Amino acid sequence: MYAEFDLTIPADLPEALTALAAAGTRAVPLSGGTNVLVDIRSQRIAPDRLLDLGRVHQLREITVDRGRVTLGARTTVGDLLASGEVTRYAPALTEAARVFAGQMVRNAATVAGNVACGSPAADLVPPLLVLDAELTLSSVRGSRTLALCDFYTGYKSDQRAPDELITAISWPIPATGSFGSFYKLARRKGDAITVVGVAVSLALGGGCCGGVRIALGSVAPTPLRVSKAEAVLEGQPPTPERIAEAARAAAEECSPIDDVRATGAYRRHMVGVLVARLLTNAIQAGN
Amino acid sequence: MSDVDTIQRNLRFSQIGKSLTRTDSPGKATGRTPYAGDYVMPGMLHAKVLRADLASARLKRLDVSKARAMPGVACVLTAQDMPDRAIATDIPGQTGRARLKTDQQILVKERVRYFGEPLALIAAETADIAEKARRLIEVELEPIPGVYDPEEALKPGAPVVQGTDNVVATHKIRKGDTEAGFAAADVVVENTYITPFQEHAFLEPEVGLAWIDENEVITIRVCTQVIEHFRAVADAIGVPHNKLRIMGALVGGGFGGKEDVTVETYLAILAQKTRRPVRLEFSREDSFVGHGNRHAMKLKYRTGVTRDGKITALDVQVIADAGAYVYLSPYVLLYCAVNAPGPYRVDNLNVFARAVATNNMFTSAFRGFGGIQAAAAYEQQMDEVANAIGMDPLEFRRQNLLQTGDPISTGFVPPSAIWTEKCVELAWQALGEPAPAPGGSIRIGRGIAAFQQSYGRLTFLHDTSEAWVGIEMDGTVTVRSGVTDIGAGQASSLAQIAAEVLGVTLPNVNVYNSDSQMTPLAGTTTASRALYMTGNAARLAAQAVRDRLAEVAAELFKAEPAQIGMEFNRVLVIDDPERSMPIAELVRVCASRGVHRSELAIFRAPFTDVLDPETGQGQAHPDYAYGAHAIEVAVDTETGEVTVLKSVAAHDVGQCINRAAVEGQIHGGVQNGLGYALSEEMLYKEGRLITPSFSEYLMPTAMDMPPVASIILESRSGLGPFGSKGIGEPSMTPVAPAVANAIADAIGVRVFEMPITPERIWRALQEARARGCR
Repeated sequence: MYAEFDLTIPADLPEALTALAAAGTRAVPLSGGTNVLVDIRSQRIAPDRLLDLGRVHQLREITVDRGRVTLGARTTVGDLLASGEVTRYAPALTEAARVFAGQMVRNAATVAGNVACGSPAADLVPPLLVLDAELTLSSVRGSRTLALCDFYTGYKSDQRAPDELITAISWPIPATGSFGSFYKLARRKGDAITVVGVAVSLALGGGCCGGVRIALGSVAPTPLRVSKAEAVLEGQPPTPERIAEAARAAAEECSPIDDVRATGAYRRHMVGVLVARLLTNAIQAGN
Repeated sequence: MSDVDTIQRNLRFSQIGKSLTRTDSPGKATGRTPYAGDYVMPGMLHAKVLRADLASARLKRLDVSKARAMPGVACVLTAQDMPDRAIATDIPGQTGRARLKTDQQILVKERVRYFGEPLALIAAETADIAEKARRLIEVELEPIPGVYDPEEALKPGAPVVQGTDNVVATHKIRKGDTEAGFAAADVVVENTYITPFQEHAFLEPEVGLAWIDENEVITIRVCTQVIEHFRAVADAIGVPHNKLRIMGALVGGGFGGKEDVTVETYLAILAQKTRRPVRLEFSREDSFVGHGNRHAMKLKYRTGVTRDGKITALDVQVIADAGAYVYLSPYVLLYCAVNAPGPYRVDNLNVFARAVATNNMFTSAFRGFGGIQAAAAYEQQMDEVANAIGMDPLEFRRQNLLQTGDPISTGFVPPSAIWTEKCVELAWQALGEPAPAPGGSIRIGRGIAAFQQSYGRLTFLHDTSEAWVGIEMDGTVTVRSGVTDIGAGQASSLAQIAAEVLGVTLPNVNVYNSDSQMTPLAGTTTASRALYMTGNAARLAAQAVRDRLAEVAAELFKAEPAQIGMEFNRVLVIDDPERSMPIAELVRVCASRGVHRSELAIFRAPFTDVLDPETGQGQAHPDYAYGAHAIEVAVDTETGEVTVLKSVAAHDVGQCINRAAVEGQIHGGVQNGLGYALSEEMLYKEGRLITPSFSEYLMPTAMDMPPVASIILESRSGLGPFGSKGIGEPSMTPVAPAVANAIADAIGVRVFEMPITPERIWRALQEARARGCR
């Protein structure tokens, strides 16, 4: 690989934030590197400076406190699979981690990196969206939290300011009786870029659906929640007709394109198939 | 089951037929094996290739002045620096026959014909400097209309890629009377099958190191299947053949992609120009456009059949995409034509096959070499025809399969056994009980595919192979042969053969191989021929040495030479094994008497003339291998996703030399075949490859692989040493059609184009529903 850039290796988080603030707009934070290095090699990006977070160890913790699960931003995809808390409180995220790339990439790739890369095919984002996840963005100016569903502003663009780092990702422990799942439709079983990703989450109470969340990957400029589809089921009994209507609404709400992996038409149809399938499974699990 | 498990019968051999640890295994397992890319030299330069980013264009301006001026750049070469140089792209063989007009410009002079065609070579003190210099070269290309579809390329007025028209090669096979055959048919079934381009995707991209030795010999250490390209490279750079030396190394995968010249010419030119050692390593992106891929083909099959299952006529029309340069297209096409009816008796046959130039990446050799495209079509067609007459696909095959002694399409009778029927039965049985249907949208299906695939090169090429075997004073054995080892254990097989013949154990044999000036020339490691050709040469050489040793032993033991046995490093009298001595002792006696303890042998394949140009009748290959593959799949009819559940290969390999190596070839063939059938796709947009990385070009991973069962039959009838046949290509040939047939069985409709992606399955099902089929 041929590339020229400066490299900063901060010793801790304050040093990292200071360095990032000083670096200007063409610095890129580097953690697992499974996207950044690939993009540099293919000349898709040409950062002036890389900020290697490899020594910022405090960002790699998973904690459960006061009703919330919080992941340090450098938690790897492999760490998710090893975490009992994540399995218990975010089964959809565990399912996504299990089909994420291959083991070597899972060992290096981080959750925040997957969120920050902004790829529509980022597999961890739909499950985090259905968990109502929040991001903590930190800079020398202070910290703020932002709902993940408000983070993306367009294809590979987001609300992160150049001097900010994603330092944590958190979500409320789901209500008892809620059920979430994720499905990755791809062209092969290992190391594949997603053709359609679907995450759903809902709880059944009194014969009606509550907390309905449906999120999609690879079918729009960003991963997205399909709120019209969610609304079809919210507070309603889950009849097959309503599930079909929600699936239809999800298919209408996305905006997939043709690429080397599939056509937009196929993707849109698959959104309908998979949303119906995952909702049906969630409701069966809830009963 | 005695045919299945021939291990018992192999007990009469002491070294072959067993899963002995290959001579190349320990180094690979421990990571100590140096590959071509691991070699460095003091003062060596690093080279890069600048490539065109359009597929059809005129080179208007190429300004290398900034790159040349950069500190650390040793040289930048363009076509202006070597105006008359070109490299031959086809193989004339030893017939003295003239080459086709197939020479390729080494660097673009004026006309760019494919995406990635090299424009300039850069050599610099470091790889980074070379890369930086490459980015400083200014290129202006003027697009000119190209042609990217072979059928379009055949139309009048289509852009001509080079020469006078786009037809690169035509082959015809005519036998019997197809008109009468179709008239006698109860049913005629016509279908068109589309097979895709395929990339070899070896682990090790092309790499080499060149230097000029003390005798002014341009020496190249390179990963290649064919060290004998030293002649073509010498011709290209204008030096005598004995002043260019190519040394191989253990190769990290070939599959046909290292059968043509890749980095060698560039290295030779740069070494000649700079007089310094030069290393050139292709990136993965270079590799995708740095060697010819598998020909995409369109194969139209029209089969006449009687209600009771007899094929009365077959008409096959083939169009192959040859890409921008000829390379091995005429030969690949010939394999396709010869194998068009597959392993079936077809008395009334008409095959018309054309390879057509386009501005796509040039296509050339790839495991299966035309035979595999034919198999993808004929085995799907067999199922379609069986369906059309309401006959069980296995029963339909049984009625039409070639049996030992039957002539193939060209009228030639293969000299070995044809055990296809046995392979079909055993593979099908071994699938066992079908997987339980999980319900919902999942359907389970099964498919079978039989095949015919040659081993050994085209007989009109007059192929030969040499090997030298000698025995040392301590009883160890040395084999010297030019054969390249591309990972299948080619060198180890020679060691195992020499060990068997000379009665020593495998660790006592060492093979020196793959050096065009220092080891006897063995020909190519292609065409499933290395074992057949070089194995025979090694056996002949070892046998000659053994005969001389046995004569002396007979005298010492006062016995007849025929009574002398050699095994496990001892020589003995077979009927009286107490009379024995270490082989080393015998060798020392022989040495003191001046007995010749080594032998250089040559093995010659059958030599023929070319096939009749109008009828295609005659002999094309030395012999053929036969077998079958059975597959079970689960298909999600809503999403089109396919999971391969079971994979059973049944092959008559003639005789295993190393059983584990045979199984390894079968496993690799399954992986390669599953990718061909299901997921590997080279997409071009106006000739520009838009899937040039492993995130878009999708080979099956470990997570995609089913368990692979191997049923290995040994007819001992092949032309190779001890009756062996080839397995390198045959292991892959039937896999893709078996998958296609399993999917069609599962979902009730056929996808006629590979790879059979989830989306293609979904579309086929949508269309079928629209037609009201299901």
